[in-house]
Amino acid sequence: MKAKKIISLLCVVAMSAGLLAGCGKTTDGGDGGSGGGASGKSGGTLTLEFFDVAANYQGTQPGWFAKVVKDRFDLELNIIAPQVGGDALYQTRSATGNLGDVLILEAGQFQECVEQGLVKDITADIYNYDSFKTFKQQIDALNNGLPNNDGKIYGIPTEMMNTSPTSYSQDVIYSSPQLRWNLYKEIGSPEIKDLNGLLDALAAMQEKHPQTESGDPIYGASLWPDWDGGDDMIGIANVVQLTTWYGEKIKQSLILKPDGTFIPLTDKKGSYYKILKFWNDAYNRGLVDPDSFSQGWNEACAKMQNGQVLLFWYSWQQGFWNSNDRLKDGSAFIFVPVKDQKYYADADSFFGSGRVWAIGSKVDDEKYKRIMDFLSWYASPEGAMFQHDGIEGFNYEKGADGRLYQKNDNALMDNLPVPAEYGGGGYQDGNNAINQWIVSANSTNPLTNEPYAQSYWSTYKELMMTDMKKEWQQKFGADEPAEYMKKNNVLVISPNVSVALPVDTNDIAVIRNQCKVAVNDWSWRMIKAADDAEFDSMWDKMTTELDGLGFQDLMKFDKDKYTIELNAKNAVK
Amino acid sequence: MQRTSLTKKQIRGYREFLYVLPFLILVLIFSYYPLYGWVYAFFDYKPPKPLSESTFVGLKWFKSMVENEVKRKQLVSVLRNTFAMSGISLFFSWFPMIFAIFLNEIKCKPYKKFVQTVTTLPNFVSWVLVYAVAYNVFSNSGALNSLLKEWGMITKPIDYLESTSHIWFKMWLWLTWKNAGWASIMYLAAISGIDEEYVEAAKVDGASRMKIIWHITIPGILPTYFVLVMLNLASFLSNGMEQYYVFQNAFNKEYVQVLDLYVYNLAMGSGGYPLSTAFSILKSLVSVLLLFLTNFASKKIRGESII
Repeated sequence: MKAKKIISLLCVVAMSAGLLAGCGKTTDGGDGGSGGGASGKSGGTLTLEFFDVAANYQGTQPGWFAKVVKDRFDLELNIIAPQVGGDALYQTRSATGNLGDVLILEAGQFQECVEQGLVKDITADIYNYDSFKTFKQQIDALNNGLPNNDGKIYGIPTEMMNTSPTSYSQDVIYSSPQLRWNLYKEIGSPEIKDLNGLLDALAAMQEKHPQTESGDPIYGASLWPDWDGGDDMIGIANVVQLTTWYGEKIKQSLILKPDGTFIPLTDKKGSYYKILKFWNDAYNRGLVDPDSFSQGWNEACAKMQNGQVLLFWYSWQQGFWNSNDRLKDGSAFIFVPVKDQKYYADADSFFGSGRVWAIGSKVDDEKYKRIMDFLSWYASPEGAMFQHDGIEGFNYEKGADGRLYQKNDNALMDNLPVPAEYGGGGYQDGNNAINQWIVSANSTNPLTNEPYAQSYWSTYKELMMTDMKKEWQQKFGADEPAEYMKKNNVLVISPNVSVALPVDTNDIAVIRNQCKVAVNDWSWRMIKAADDAEFDSMWDKMTTELDGLGFQDLMKFDKDKYTIELNAKNAVK
Repeated sequence: MQRTSLTKKQIRGYREFLYVLPFLILVLIFSYYPLYGWVYAFFDYKPPKPLSESTFVGLKWFKSMVENEVKRKQLVSVLRNTFAMSGISLFFSWFPMIFAIFLNEIKCKPYKKFVQTVTTLPNFVSWVLVYAVAYNVFSNSGALNSLLKEWGMITKPIDYLESTSHIWFKMWLWLTWKNAGWASIMYLAAISGIDEEYVEAAKVDGASRMKIIWHITIPGILPTYFVLVMLNLASFLSNGMEQYYVFQNAFNKEYVQVLDLYVYNLAMGSGGYPLSTAFSILKSLVSVLLLFLTNFASKKIRGESII
């Protein structure tokens, strides 16, 4: 009897204690609850919490890049990725007053966080580091653009370049139609007049090659819905990107025309309608992968790597197919011009690509110093080479002539095993999970006087002077795709500027989100529309629904917002 | 030793109060404290700006729910889906009961255990995994479509996951596949509570198996059934969002977006916290109302209340 009483009493005490323990506040404010491994002691291993809007990976940085950072700075990187964990991560974490130790934020978020005191003032120290001094003009421009800022430095732009805000130094623009060269030749290298011509070409290719060698079906295109709504974009990613083929740039609810005027996204003469119709036509001609409506990027990407997809449109997509061997045998993807197109491209990201690096306001002095050391290295040529070129001895080596030569070109594509001395594991698995740079890959590396990006090295270009490239150059009369566009006057370059744009009010944020969802849902349904009449009637229904959700207010807000940016761009021109 | 002026009874009262105290604290913290969050519905709150710096806007977000036809239509369609799917569940709520009765009739013990385990297991599989299975089997290039194609029965894949035909019923099927075994446990317990003597007596009187089920088992577990139905009615509006969240896509969203999912879609990502809080306040109010209504009905019909 007594024992029973004691036990029940103990239970009560234990339960109460358990309850109260759950409510306790963490006393360790500086750390924001980054469990394990974090020690503030000088010299010990320190875990940095990276709040990183660019990352596709959440967790501790593994593999060879972890070793690079650990060996040099004794740091571990714990990456918190809203792209993985959901955008609510930003809202909940910022509401607690501590986002993390190192922050990579969208421009609007950066502005909000500075206002709310979530970002550390780094004015006193930043220009003590040489690698930041090089970019003083760009860093100052970003911070001076902050509202009510009197010369303080809070953030560092992402992907800055050391060229100019109006130049264009890449060979291939971000988005353009790309076809497999051998298949294009096989159907007689037809001149492609417009989007219909492009569909004809894809249909002809698909007819000749309905299946891969292993029997998997081949499609004109494979789409994926899981990127929709990211990057503050209204409209589905697979359409928004392609609108740049007609010189237009979607600015949320508006389309910026090449002549500098804005039209609504819902304008039937605009490029969103045009490209959506293009996919609808493609679908009705049986050129679109039927999985397009439910698969994720990973499945779509697997098909691209497997040769099941005939049309690429991102420049980086080539990385999933174009190995050096395929470039040599001519089966690689390359830009093929469509005659009625005019391509929009953002100029060199001199002032940065739009996102911002910052340091959380809650870090202590010791941690702060080590973060700054790390970031300055990250921005230095040595750091940038690890990000853009990989490991010396594994991904490239220095030749006797002092130039860099590529090695293991398929390291990323095939996730090659990395030797133990560099950290082991797969190369892709251990790749830099921060996925955002301070210095752009197209910047000139002061150590070699060539861009960081391997595909721009003189040694690589010599190697890649393949038959395929020569045929292409002969047919289109230019060395590189971007040069062809410049020569034929079909490239619209939008200067890079650094301006702070107004942040959404609560009302606008709600409208924007609801409109985003509505446009995306309707767009996918329209791709499946049976005919033009159904397509148009769906478009009209979408427009009505959008107006009910407050699209007009949204357009007004966006117009005011992007006119600021447009004016700045015009001033540079 | 100091003598207290409390009587024995009072001491017992205090002691027993201490026994329930942990649970009271639990309820206060997890059920009442969150109600404080309702204030967000009356402010223009947008993180990272703290609530103390946000402007008070009164009923603005409540009004915005119904301010024009498109929004009203959206709300109606969300409510329609919620009611339809809860309604189907309610309409078929006898299913686990019948399942339990038949399960109970299986005389071969190992087989009975096997069936019970197999039907209970899906309850512990998360919806994400259920969808992964569904995707692999029913997607356009999934197992079923590939098989049908191979056998030459179809030339174009059938959109099981994207089509909206019978979508509510399909959702109910998934739910039942996952929950039926679990839900029948309660009834199995109720059945084992029925006095064996009734069954023996009926057998002596020559009642068939069906007659025993009809006249003894079912009346025996009907009170359990009613209590469960009443409780389900009270949560009529909250049919959970996980299932619909994983199964939603641009094509079927119009029919599977239920209230909980709508609130989630509104709040997460866009930071539409005030608006979605406003929605959940209304939802809670309606749920409380429903609970009282069913309780009232129960009192009238069965003569006993459930709360």
